[in-house]
Amino acid sequence: MTGRSHQSSQIHFLLQCFRSDIISLMLFAPILATIGCQPEDQSPQVVTLWHQMTAAERTVLEKQIARYEALHPDIHVNTLYKETEELRSGFQAAALAGTGPDLVYGPSDAVGAFAPMGIIQDMRPFFSSDELAEFTQESLIEGDSENGKPNSLLLVGDRVGNHLALVINRNIAKSIPQNTNELIRLATDHTSLSGNLGLKQYGLVFNFIEPFFIIPFITGHGGWVFEQSEDGLLPALDSDEVIQSLQFVTDLRNKYRVLPEGCDYEMADTLFKSGQAAMIINGDWSWGDYLNNPDIDAIVVPLPIVTSTGRPMSPMVAPRGYSLNVNSEQDQAIAAMDLVRFLTSAEVQMEFMNSLKTLPSRKVLLAAAEASDDPTLQASAAQRKRGTPMPVEAELRGVWEAMRPHYQALLNGSTTPATAAKKMQLDAKVNISRMNAELKPGPIVWVIQGVAILVAVFFLWWQRHNFRRFLGDLKQNRFAYLLVAPAMIVLVLTIIYPFLYNIVLSFSNMSLRHFRDWDVTGLHNYQEVFVEPVFFIVFLKTILWTLICVAFSVAIGLLLAAALNGPVRGKSLYQLVLILPWAIPAYITALTWRGMFDYEYGAMNLVGNGVLGLPMVNWLGEPTAAFAACIITNIWLGFPFMMVIALGGMQGIPRDLYEAARIDRVSRWGQFRHITLPMLKPVLIPAITLGTIWTFNNLNVIWLVSAGGQPSDKTHILVSYVYKAVFNLYRYGYGAALSMVIFALLLVFSLVFLNRTKATDAVA
Amino acid sequence: MKESKAITYTRHAVLILFSLFALYPALNVLSISLRPGDRLRSTDLSIIPANWNFDSYIKLFTEQPFLTWLGNSLLVSLLVTIFGVTLASIGGYAFSRFRFVGRGAGMATLLTTQMFPATMLMLPLYVMIARLHLVDTFLGLMLFYTATAMPFCLWQMKGFYDTIPVSLEEAARIDGCSRWQAFTRVTLPLALPGLVITALFSFMTAWSEYLVAAQVLQTSDNFTLPLGLKSFQETMSTQWGLYAAGAIIVSLPVVALFMLLSRYLVSGMTLGAVKE
Repeated sequence: MTGRSHQSSQIHFLLQCFRSDIISLMLFAPILATIGCQPEDQSPQVVTLWHQMTAAERTVLEKQIARYEALHPDIHVNTLYKETEELRSGFQAAALAGTGPDLVYGPSDAVGAFAPMGIIQDMRPFFSSDELAEFTQESLIEGDSENGKPNSLLLVGDRVGNHLALVINRNIAKSIPQNTNELIRLATDHTSLSGNLGLKQYGLVFNFIEPFFIIPFITGHGGWVFEQSEDGLLPALDSDEVIQSLQFVTDLRNKYRVLPEGCDYEMADTLFKSGQAAMIINGDWSWGDYLNNPDIDAIVVPLPIVTSTGRPMSPMVAPRGYSLNVNSEQDQAIAAMDLVRFLTSAEVQMEFMNSLKTLPSRKVLLAAAEASDDPTLQASAAQRKRGTPMPVEAELRGVWEAMRPHYQALLNGSTTPATAAKKMQLDAKVNISRMNAELKPGPIVWVIQGVAILVAVFFLWWQRHNFRRFLGDLKQNRFAYLLVAPAMIVLVLTIIYPFLYNIVLSFSNMSLRHFRDWDVTGLHNYQEVFVEPVFFIVFLKTILWTLICVAFSVAIGLLLAAALNGPVRGKSLYQLVLILPWAIPAYITALTWRGMFDYEYGAMNLVGNGVLGLPMVNWLGEPTAAFAACIITNIWLGFPFMMVIALGGMQGIPRDLYEAARIDRVSRWGQFRHITLPMLKPVLIPAITLGTIWTFNNLNVIWLVSAGGQPSDKTHILVSYVYKAVFNLYRYGYGAALSMVIFALLLVFSLVFLNRTKATDAVA
Repeated sequence: MKESKAITYTRHAVLILFSLFALYPALNVLSISLRPGDRLRSTDLSIIPANWNFDSYIKLFTEQPFLTWLGNSLLVSLLVTIFGVTLASIGGYAFSRFRFVGRGAGMATLLTTQMFPATMLMLPLYVMIARLHLVDTFLGLMLFYTATAMPFCLWQMKGFYDTIPVSLEEAARIDGCSRWQAFTRVTLPLALPGLVITALFSFMTAWSEYLVAAQVLQTSDNFTLPLGLKSFQETMSTQWGLYAAGAIIVSLPVVALFMLLSRYLVSGMTLGAVKE
């Protein structure tokens, strides 16, 4: 933490509180006293490792760790698997809080973020130069460490890879393409679109909608994503080479038709595994699955040469390895480094190479892999030689984020390669400058502090009568306060700290470059929220999304509750089925919905077009359709809840009201309208209000169904938009400000809505 | 009471239509769990895939600490349910029956806690949990889940109490009940459908929550089910079979709980005690 002392008033004080635990101590002293002070057993020493190895790799890792623990009985190694993005954000949060694992294991590009954030430390003091000389240069990542110390050793790789190559199913294609002309000929020869679905076959599939997978095409055409200039690393996306490669890639789908519409990772994978694709471009993590699949006869070969340029298609190659947490000190760090020495040893690397065909990071072993008679290892080593090292700089994130929307716009035909390249370049520059923005506290900080104090004072003054009344009422209504107190205390305990913290963050410059040493800098985050024109479009979409989702969920829920609330045979069975969308975890059902929206193989088009004769809809490729897809999924997820609420509420309606209505010959609809609905109001209003709030803030469905806002970031609602800004471009301060705006919007809505429905009124 | 045929048929038509809507995506999950070779998608519409087998289910129980996760999840969810229902049933009663100062403000505060995008609170939440030394404990998790479910539960209970006539309690008071007795013996039993919904909701909040659990729990032995399930998911090489099989099993207790509680939802309990 930096100890800047030029601020001494309110906000800075608040900040200090957070940093020195005063608030948390005050609030949580009782809890702390009871549970926080258990003495910890010091032996054996525990070294914690967070990694993101695949299931197969984990088996090898666990075996090696067991061996290490047997050799070092005084050490216990605690390993935890986390998925790539979660490892990243989890480690960032933990390191910020001063804790976290001793070691993180992952691909080198994570270092690009960890280093500027100052959350990993230099490992050079723990290794001799002779030791390091045994590693290939690309597997040791150097850079500026926590306090800007240059040439720090930030990652020690135990393997190189993550590279794409071509996998061929020899049951279908017999030859190996040497150049792209042969590749296209082979692919078109083995594409047959006649016959029914199960007989369709595609020539060349891959994760077509993701920029990472078109890098080999760009390099093969002689382009690259960055160029080195005097001002540092600049994006180089607006080049003829990039435009040519974009044209080439779109031709694969539009001219040669060798892969299906909207081919994403899972579609490509499924087609290849079920023998319905001749070739796939995929990374070294996937090859084991293909080689072991009994339905296909897979072989891995290097990517071909681009015929027009004579250059080989060159995928990105990145080492994977270990980094040391900045919070890991002395003994802890020494023990952790000893473990790293073991896990990167020749012996362990051999184990991984032999069982998983990974390329080792030690020079001697890599040479052995190149000379190996294993065809997969050989092909992998050959592909690595043709590969381009993946940049470790955090700026790469900015490039991916800029490429994805325009590339996808190109795929659905709404732009040309030249325009797409131009826009990618512009956006990449904006992203990078946003990531690297340097903000210093200005005089505005004083104004904010002044206003904050004024607001607080005004609030106290304005509410002075209420406070006095409250104190008086405390005695009179003791019974009521006693009943409410437990619930309110639990709530305030857990919510207030994160909430206040977030308010402070929203005025701060917390970002990639100021992660641990952030400061309150002013209103610029709020300014940015309202300056970006996208905000208003996204806001309108959010309102649309919320209205449609809630209206349909409630309507369907009421309809079903009304249908169930009466003499029906098989009521239990209906209930069992109707509750399923709520019962099955949404993070998998949302993905099955994504599958159902697939253009060629999804149920929506197969039934809609095949059975009902409706036109084919490009559900996931067209912005409007994709948004509709998210809405349909969310209604499916939401109606059972509303049904349950309505069912419960209907039990409270006295039967004699209906009897009376029937005698008066009121129609069914009339009874529903004039008896059921008004009587359900006390129960439905809270459900609708909260349902609206939850829907407004529902990140999951958008994220899973549209794969993070695809196509072209056109399906975002406010929360997913914030999430993206924070987690992809590390704009924590901006994210905090945007969430404050979301909060304010919802607050206004609820106050208006509740005021109109008078839901807070008591009956007594 | 008999209904006309037309109405009975309409009921069934509506229910069948939406049952299909509810069922098909769910069956897809079943289909993935039976499919060999970790394929998320299929290229046809069949529900029972070719070469189907139960390998994923067998693996789940033999090769993964699935039962440990199940136990953890049950423990956390049941305790949260008990806390949640208790606190909400008494708090909601006060909100419904008494006009005390700060009542409106209190109810509004409950709502406002829901308005903040939860994903944005993760970073500060973790900082807080780390400072309280609650990382990797169930206590921190349960506290948070109870708080998350509380606003809805309180509002819901208040709504249910509102539908119960005050005159019943007044009668009980005249017959010699204390205020507390009137609440526990007269009003609370009548609010049973509300209690069922509150219980179900509290349970679901804890049962399926993933984001916070991922921050708090850091050893595999302490994982709850959603965390365990997510550990099958990897960037671009998810074990779909295990993931789907796990999801199916995760949903069983929820369905069971709902079936168990649902007779209190549609039992046709009559509130014929008062004529107003």
